Amino acid sequence: MKCILWFCVILSSLCIIKTINGQQRKKDGQTLSERVQQLVDMNHKRSVLRFNGNKFRDYVRATPRNYSVIVMFSAMAAQRQCAICRHANDEFQIVANSFRYSQIYSNKLFFAVVDFDEGPDVFQMLRLNTAPVFMHFPPKGKPKQSDTMDIQRIGFAAEAIAKWIAERTDVQIRVFRPPNYSGTVALVMLFAVVAGFLYLRRNNLDFLYNKNCWGIGAVFFCFAMVSGQMWNHIRGPPFVHKTSSGGVAYIHGSSQGQFVLETYIVMVLNAAIVLGMILMTEAASHKGDVRKRRILSIVGLVLVATFFSLILSIFRSKAHGYPYSFLFK
Amino acid sequence: MAVSSSASYVKTTISNSSGWKSLITFTVLLLAWISGFSSRLFAVIRFESIIHEFDPWFNYRSTAYMVKNGIYNFLNWFDERAWYPLGRIVGGTVYPGLMLTSGSIHYVLHTFNIPVHIRDICVFLAPTFSGLTAISTYLLTKELWSPGAGLFAACFIAIVPGYISRSVAGSYDNEGIAIFALQFTYYLWVKAVKMGSIFWSCMTALSYFYMVSAWGGYVFIINLIPLHVFILLVMGRYSNRLFTSYTTFYILGLLLSMQIPFVGFQPIRTSEHMAASGVFALLILMAVLKYLQSVLSKAEFKYFFMVAALVAPVLVFLTVVGLTYAGIIAPWSGRFYSLWDTGYAKIHIPIIASVSEHQPTTWFSFFFDLHILVTTFPVGLWYCIKSITDERVFVVLYALSAVYFAGVMVRLMLTLTPVVCVLSGIAFSRLLELYLKEEENPQTADTDSEEEGSGERNSRNMYDKAGKLRKMKHEQQKESDGLGVNIRSIVIVAVLMMLMMFAVHCTWVTSNAYSSPSIVLASYSHDGSRQILDDFREAYYWLSQNTDNDARVMSWWDYGYQIAGMANRTTLVDNNTWNNSHIALVGKAMSSNESEAYKIMVSLDVDYVLVIFGGVIGYSGDDINKFLWMVRIAEGEHPKDIRESDYFTDRGEFRVDAEGTPTLFNSLMYKLCYYKFGEFKMDYRSPAGFDRTRNVIIGNKNFELTYLEEAYTTEHWLVRIYKVKKPDEFNRPRIPVSERKIKRSKIFVTKKTNKRKKGTIRNKPTVVKGKKLSS
Repeated sequence: MKCILWFCVILSSLCIIKTINGQQRKKDGQTLSERVQQLVDMNHKRSVLRFNGNKFRDYVRATPRNYSVIVMFSAMAAQRQCAICRHANDEFQIVANSFRYSQIYSNKLFFAVVDFDEGPDVFQMLRLNTAPVFMHFPPKGKPKQSDTMDIQRIGFAAEAIAKWIAERTDVQIRVFRPPNYSGTVALVMLFAVVAGFLYLRRNNLDFLYNKNCWGIGAVFFCFAMVSGQMWNHIRGPPFVHKTSSGGVAYIHGSSQGQFVLETYIVMVLNAAIVLGMILMTEAASHKGDVRKRRILSIVGLVLVATFFSLILSIFRSKAHGYPYSFLFK
Repeated sequence: MAVSSSASYVKTTISNSSGWKSLITFTVLLLAWISGFSSRLFAVIRFESIIHEFDPWFNYRSTAYMVKNGIYNFLNWFDERAWYPLGRIVGGTVYPGLMLTSGSIHYVLHTFNIPVHIRDICVFLAPTFSGLTAISTYLLTKELWSPGAGLFAACFIAIVPGYISRSVAGSYDNEGIAIFALQFTYYLWVKAVKMGSIFWSCMTALSYFYMVSAWGGYVFIINLIPLHVFILLVMGRYSNRLFTSYTTFYILGLLLSMQIPFVGFQPIRTSEHMAASGVFALLILMAVLKYLQSVLSKAEFKYFFMVAALVAPVLVFLTVVGLTYAGIIAPWSGRFYSLWDTGYAKIHIPIIASVSEHQPTTWFSFFFDLHILVTTFPVGLWYCIKSITDERVFVVLYALSAVYFAGVMVRLMLTLTPVVCVLSGIAFSRLLELYLKEEENPQTADTDSEEEGSGERNSRNMYDKAGKLRKMKHEQQKESDGLGVNIRSIVIVAVLMMLMMFAVHCTWVTSNAYSSPSIVLASYSHDGSRQILDDFREAYYWLSQNTDNDARVMSWWDYGYQIAGMANRTTLVDNNTWNNSHIALVGKAMSSNESEAYKIMVSLDVDYVLVIFGGVIGYSGDDINKFLWMVRIAEGEHPKDIRESDYFTDRGEFRVDAEGTPTLFNSLMYKLCYYKFGEFKMDYRSPAGFDRTRNVIIGNKNFELTYLEEAYTTEHWLVRIYKVKKPDEFNRPRIPVSERKIKRSKIFVTKKTNKRKKGTIRNKPTVVKGKKLSS
C-alpha cells in the first residue's frame, strides 16, 4: 500500500508536465504485418517485451491489431520501493516464459511490461495511480472493466494470471514453473554436512547409537505434529490476533482455528507433562539418594498435574460448553 | 471404563500363578469389550437402531443386496440406479470385506435359527468389532512391552473418542472393521518377527488379506512393514527371522491382495506398493551378502560389499523410475500425493479439498479425540526408544508415521489412535507398576481395586495375603530406599484421578459429538424437551411412494447414497466421487440460471431435483453453505460458463441478502432453496424471509419458477423436492399470429352462448319456395 500512496503524489505532479510525443507520427505508417513481425522479433530476444511510452502507443494503442497484449504496469526501480512489484514481475515472467516455450506459442498474444520510470505518460494516459496493474488489450476495441485483473481478490500468482488470461483470450497457458532447486540444494548441502561430520568423526560413531538423541528427536517430532504445526504450515494463521480494543489474543476463540503462538504454548505444555511423567517414572525406578528422588517425584507430579490442568482449561475455553476441568477453572 | 487402572494387577506378585493372571486378563478384556460396546450405543438409545450418515447407507444397501442375491451376484452387480446414465459396477469398485463380514454373521445366525434382520447386524457390527480391536491391541502391546501395558492399552482403545468417532452403532463403515484388521495384522507381524516362523508370517498375510478386503487404508500396512524391515536393515539388525517373516509375508500378501477385484493388479503396478518390492529385493540382496560373507575372504567381501551397496539401490531406483516413465507403474495417485505435498490437493483436486475430513488437524482435534493420551504417549515412545528391540522399532515407526499423517488429515486420526493407546498404555503401566509395586502390596492393591469397582476381586485380595510372604524377600532391599507411602499414594491417587477424567471426557465426547445419526436431527427447546426433526426420512419416503420407480433425482453428491438407500430412486451422482466431470455437470446445473440448468437437466433426463435447505431451523450443513464448492468444482470443468467471482460481492464476500450478486440470485440452487421463502414468517418478531442459518433476510424474495415446480417440502423445510417440467408443460411464450407457422383460418364460434339460445344447424339446406330439396 505504501507504493500506492506514493504514486498518487507522483502522478498528480506529473499531470503538470507535458510529455513529448513527437516521434510518434513517424512510425504510424507501419502496416499490421510489419508490427507483428517486429513484435515477434523482439519476442525472440525476451519473452516479456519492455515498452516505453512510444512503443506502447505503436504496438498497443495502434489500430488495427490482430493480437492481444497483456501488459503489466509496474515500478521496479529501486527508489520506488515497490516490494510487491518484484514478486509480481517474477510471476509474470513465469507466465510469459510458459507461453513463450510452449506448443501453443503464436503471434496472437504478447506479454509486455511498462515501467513507470520509462513511460510515465502511459500511466497518465490510462489514469493509473497504483502498481502493479495487469491489463489485457484485446485485438478489437478498448479494454473493458474486466480486462484489468483484480489482484486484490485473486492475487497475482502465475496460475491466477494464466487463468485470467484464459478467460480473456481463450489461450490456455499451462504454467510451468522452473523447478525450484533451492530445496534440493539445501537437502544436498545438509547431506553433505552430515556425511562430512560422520566422516570426521568416523572413529567415534557412538553418538549414532545414543538413544537419548534419537528419543528426543522422535518425541519432539510428536510434539510438533500434535500441537498442530502442520495446520499452521498449510493454513498460515497469524502469529497472534490483535483485537479491536487493542488487546492481544493468544488463543483462538473457536475450535476451528489456532494461532501460531498458541501452538507453541500447547507444545510447551505437552513437553512439560511428558517431562513430569518421565521424572516420576525415573524417580521410582533409579537407585540413588532417596531425598533427591522424593523431590524429583513430587516435582514430576506437580508438573504433570499443573500443566495438564492448564492445557485442559485452554481446551475448555475453546470448546464452548465443555463441562470438566481439573485444578483450575 | 474404570477398568483401565486394573492393568497393574497382573504385575502384583499375588497373581503370579498363571490361573490368576488369565482370569484377570480375561475379566479386564471382557469389561473393556462391554464398556466399549455400551458407550457406542448412545445413538441407538436416543434415536433408534438406524444406519447413520452417508457412506453407511451404501454399505447397507449393498449388504442387503448381497444377502438377498448371493455373493457371486453381488460381485457382478451392475448398479444402474447410480451415476445415471453411466451406472456403476459395484462389485469391482468396493472393498467387499465389510459386506462379507456382516453377511456371514447373518448366515451363521440364521443357520442357528436366530432370525436377526440384516440391518441390526449392520448397526451393531462396529461396536462388536471394537471389542475385538481391544483384544488385538492387548495382544500387540503384550508382545511389545508387557501384559499389564497391554491391558491398559486395551482399555484405552475401548473408549477413546478417536476410534469411537468411526465405530458408533449405526456407523456401518469400512473403518469399523478395518482398525481391528490393522491391529491384528500388526500383532501377527510383530509376533512373526519375534519368532521368525513361517506359520506366523502366513497368518500375517491372511490377516493382511482381510484388511485389503476391508479398507483402502491397507496401503499403510504395506508401506509400514517394509519401512520397519528397511530400518532394521539400516540398524544392522538383519536376522534370519526377519528374512523368513518378510519374504513369506510379502509373497503371500501380494498374491492374496490381488484377489480382491477392486485392488486387482495395483500391487504390482502402482507406486504406493513399490516400496514393498524394493525392500523385498534389498532383503534378498542382504541375504546373499550374508551368505557370501561366509564364503569369501574378508578383503574380497569388503570390495564386493562396497560395489553391491553402491550399485543395488541405484539400480532399484532407476528401475522404478524407468517403469514409471514407461507407464507400466502408475505414479502416486492424487489422494496419496497430497499427503506429502500438502498444498497439492488445494490447487489441483477441489473435490478432495472440499471434504472436511481431508483438512489438516488442529491441536484442538488432537486433544478432543485423545485427551490425556496425546500428552502422555511421547513418554511411551521415549521408553520404547530407550530400551529398543526389533519389535519396538516397529512401534516407534508406527507412531512417527501415524502422527505425521494425522497432522495432515483429520481423517487419519483414526490410524494414530491405536498406536497412541499402545504407547500411553506402556507409559501408564510403567509408572503405576513402579509406584504400586514397591512396598505394602495389600494397600496398593486396594486402591487399585476400588478403582476397578469390582467388589469380588477386592475381597479376594484381602484373603490372598499368603502371596506376600514370598514377596518379602524380593522387596527387602528396595524397602530401604523406597519413596515412602505418602508420596507413592499421592502420585497414585493423582494419576488415577487424571485417568478418571479421561474416562469422563470420553463419555462426554461420545455422547455429545459422535452419537448423532445425522439423518435424524434433534433440537432442544428452552425447557430441555427434545424435538426430533425427521425431515430427511420424510422426504425420502415421499420420493419412494409418490414418484415413478425409475424416476431420476438430481441432488448434490452428498445425498446420493441416502436417496438410493432410502428412497430407492436413481441418482446422478453420489458419495463415490469417481467421476469428477459428472459431478461438475451437476454443480454447473445448480449454479447456472434456470434456463441453462434446464438444458442440462433435460440432457440428463432429470425428473426431480432435491435440495437441502436449513434456513428455517438453522441447520448449517445445507446446500447454500456447500454452494461455493459446487461452483468451484463446476468451474474446474467449465471455466467458460461458471466463474466463482460472479458469486462474490465486490468486497469478496458470499452473501445471500440484498447485497448478493445477481448471478447468485438467479442460480438454480438459490431459487430452489428460497422459493416462496420470502413470504414465510417464522414467528412474530422475525421479518419475512429471515434465514436462520446465515442470520440475514434473503435478497431475492419474489420470484417464480418457470421450468420447475415445487413437488414437496418437508415439515421443517429441510428437504425441498422439485419436479422438472416436461418441455410441453411450462408456459410457452406467446407468438404473435403473424409469426405463427400454423395458422388457423376458419374459426368456428359456437352460438350457444348467444342470448337467444337458439340452436343452429350446420350446412342447413336452403329451402327455396316451389322447389324440391336437392340431394
